[in-house]
Amino acid sequence: MVTNQSINTNPPVTDDTSEGITSQEMLLNMGPQHPSTHGVLRLILTMEGETVTDCTPVIGYLHRGIEKILENRTVMGGIRYMDNADYLSPMLNETAYAGAVEQLMGIEAPRRAQYIRLLTNEMQRIASHLVAIGTYGLDLGAFTPVLWTFRDREGILSLFEALGGSRFNVNYMRVGGVLHDFPKGWLKECEVFLDQLEKNMVELDLLLTGNEIFDARTQGVGYIDQQQAIAYGLTGPMLRASGISWDLRVNRPYMAYREVPVNVQVRQEGDCFARYLVRMMEITESIRLCRVAIDKMPAGPIGTRTPIALRPPRGETYFAIESSKGELGIYFISDGSEYPWRAKIRGPSFVNLQILPEMLRGHKMGDVIAILGSTDIVLGEVDR
Amino acid sequence: MLFASMLVKLASQSSNVNIWLDILEFVVAFLSFFGFVLTSAVILVLAERKIMAWMQDRVGPIHTGPWGLLQSVADVGKLLMKEDIRAVKTDKSLFILAPSVFLAPVIAAFAVLPLSPYVSVPGTALATGIVYYVAMSSIDVVGVIMAGWSSNNKYSLIGGLRSAAQMISYELPLVLALVGVVMLTSILANSGLGTISIRDMMTYQTGGVYPGKGIGFFDFIFQGFTPWAWFFLQQPLMFIIYYICGLAETNRPPFDLPEAESELVAGYLTEYSGMRWAMFFLGEYGNMTIVSAIATYIFLGGFSGPGVAFLTGLNNGGWGLLGNLLAIGYFVIKVYLLCFVFIWVRSTLPRLRADQLMQFAWLILIPVTLFNIIVTALIYLVMNSLGSPNWLFQIVLGIVNFAMLIGFIYIVGRATVATTRRAQAPSIRARRRAAAAGQLPERASAGAASSGQK
Repeated sequence: MVTNQSINTNPPVTDDTSEGITSQEMLLNMGPQHPSTHGVLRLILTMEGETVTDCTPVIGYLHRGIEKILENRTVMGGIRYMDNADYLSPMLNETAYAGAVEQLMGIEAPRRAQYIRLLTNEMQRIASHLVAIGTYGLDLGAFTPVLWTFRDREGILSLFEALGGSRFNVNYMRVGGVLHDFPKGWLKECEVFLDQLEKNMVELDLLLTGNEIFDARTQGVGYIDQQQAIAYGLTGPMLRASGISWDLRVNRPYMAYREVPVNVQVRQEGDCFARYLVRMMEITESIRLCRVAIDKMPAGPIGTRTPIALRPPRGETYFAIESSKGELGIYFISDGSEYPWRAKIRGPSFVNLQILPEMLRGHKMGDVIAILGSTDIVLGEVDR
Repeated sequence: MLFASMLVKLASQSSNVNIWLDILEFVVAFLSFFGFVLTSAVILVLAERKIMAWMQDRVGPIHTGPWGLLQSVADVGKLLMKEDIRAVKTDKSLFILAPSVFLAPVIAAFAVLPLSPYVSVPGTALATGIVYYVAMSSIDVVGVIMAGWSSNNKYSLIGGLRSAAQMISYELPLVLALVGVVMLTSILANSGLGTISIRDMMTYQTGGVYPGKGIGFFDFIFQGFTPWAWFFLQQPLMFIIYYICGLAETNRPPFDLPEAESELVAGYLTEYSGMRWAMFFLGEYGNMTIVSAIATYIFLGGFSGPGVAFLTGLNNGGWGLLGNLLAIGYFVIKVYLLCFVFIWVRSTLPRLRADQLMQFAWLILIPVTLFNIIVTALIYLVMNSLGSPNWLFQIVLGIVNFAMLIGFIYIVGRATVATTRRAQAPSIRARRRAAAAGQLPERASAGAASSGQK
């Protein structure tokens, strides 16, 4: 952890350049109050002119001690706090937590509950990717995409509101199932929304993907090769954009993904453009998966009966799902009481953030934001 | 006040009535210009917000006044009453002076622009109109650097220096784009001597092109209104390039790097607030109006429109007033049409990076404008030696230029992407590989894991 004191604020005068001009490194503090560090990330950039020579991310400004709170809440009560970890994809977080407890207890949600989870998870993935793409456009200076994607995300939030009663912190998943069944006509509304979303995505694609400036800003910028991606433990779109086909929905299928095949979206380029494109393609894939889930939605109960005072057996387990940003794992240790002894969150944003200094080195100041935006971090999950 | 009293003294000494009329004309013109610059900024801000809202599927400002129309007025009121904050460690004199240095040339540049046949300050008679305009628009840079330097803020400094580099670079293609039109005027002039006066350049597009036919209706429409003679049709590529440079000159997207919000917070404006900030803002939108206005005069026939020349030519007070009002109307419509494109571009395009911006100016725009000058001269040389009349030359030039425009649009995107990709990708990849090889321990399992999946 870097503190203010440990950072050398008086960088040495660098060597003379070939022209004999002596230049000094500049220390630029980007954040935590900065329009586009995606929350409260603080980057200490060492720059020479406009070229970044080094970067130190400083995190912890959004630390709320979610893992500690989870230890002090009953298992069911803790699900609600998972919403706040990656606040752009609460449904996915809840699924991970509920899934970990289920795995430890050795129970499995009924098929209908699994399909509901799949449907809501994919919708949440769409919502999260929409924010990622929209804000990425904003980072690059395009003002319109962010408003279009937030308009579309609005539809998803409204559907979630009908499900869980809350737009953002849905609190919908339960150990052994979900909270409610669908309201009347919800699936039909969902289909209408998906049709509209598909049309809107074509529009967004036309606005951004073919744009020469967008291409020039993203292609060849922030390159990660395969070996690096694995060495840094990247997951999710970051990894798949570097040409590695790894998706927990396929490689470690869980819940309804055991029955619904997923087409993994992979790009080989490894640059910002590839990461953007992987997200765009994943939205299309998620729309398809939502439709599959709606078509195959089985009848039956939406949850297994669990005791009100839920006491997972003594033991530990690790359960991971493919979140919108990568592998979201919960390492759950129970001592047999109502409270988890420890619930460690393996946040994909936190892991994906590690490679940022490596990617930034040698790039121009303008690329800092382009690269940071393409990693799609959520500070709520980084700091927890 | 001193100036006004001098004028009054001058007028009282001479008994000539014409001087009083001149003074009246000056006052009317001056006031309409000042009013136009200031209100135009306020209107443009509102128009921008409303138009962008329309393009982005939202409603924009809606609460202040009917349909949100008073939003800008409320904003101006707020800015006027805001506390004037100056950070302690700023360079006081420069910090205070910078907004004025930025705004003053913008207003001064209007001196060479006639609004209508009557409403024009004496400056419009200046024979070196374009040079004056270019000189005024380049003074802006000084204000920006002053603001960036004096703010004592790294973001401001980077923004100010970026802005300096950008404005100076784009000044060149901007002027070179106008050279093509200046050449045209010297070809069209029988004396062989063209003009760089903005007013005269307008008359080349409007006056004397349509011979009066004596049919009242046609005379009314086409006298002084000859869209087929507008230079826009003969130099479309230069029109586009001028417009692109105008975007860069005014720091509008996609060239808004100096105040790139996502990187530099607000660039050189970061430390400004209240009325000083508003002066920068006013200057920017005034600049936008000026660029559009110059484009209107040089490429789109200025304030000419159906009825203007006919009505003002009647030598009748009432009809003359109507003609002048019409002229102002046409002028404003053309200017705001161009401003609309500014806004349209803003809501469509992402921002270029600093080095790409320079590349675009020096590697694409300047060669293309120079090439256009050579092509224009060559076509004239060939056609003149063949003894062809001017109108045939103009048609040929227009066709060639339109072809060049299509080629430009086709090539420029590819070139931008290709040059940046070629410029940055291999070197960065090589550097990154070298850096990674030194720091990362080799992991034999990493490669095996990636091949083992699927």
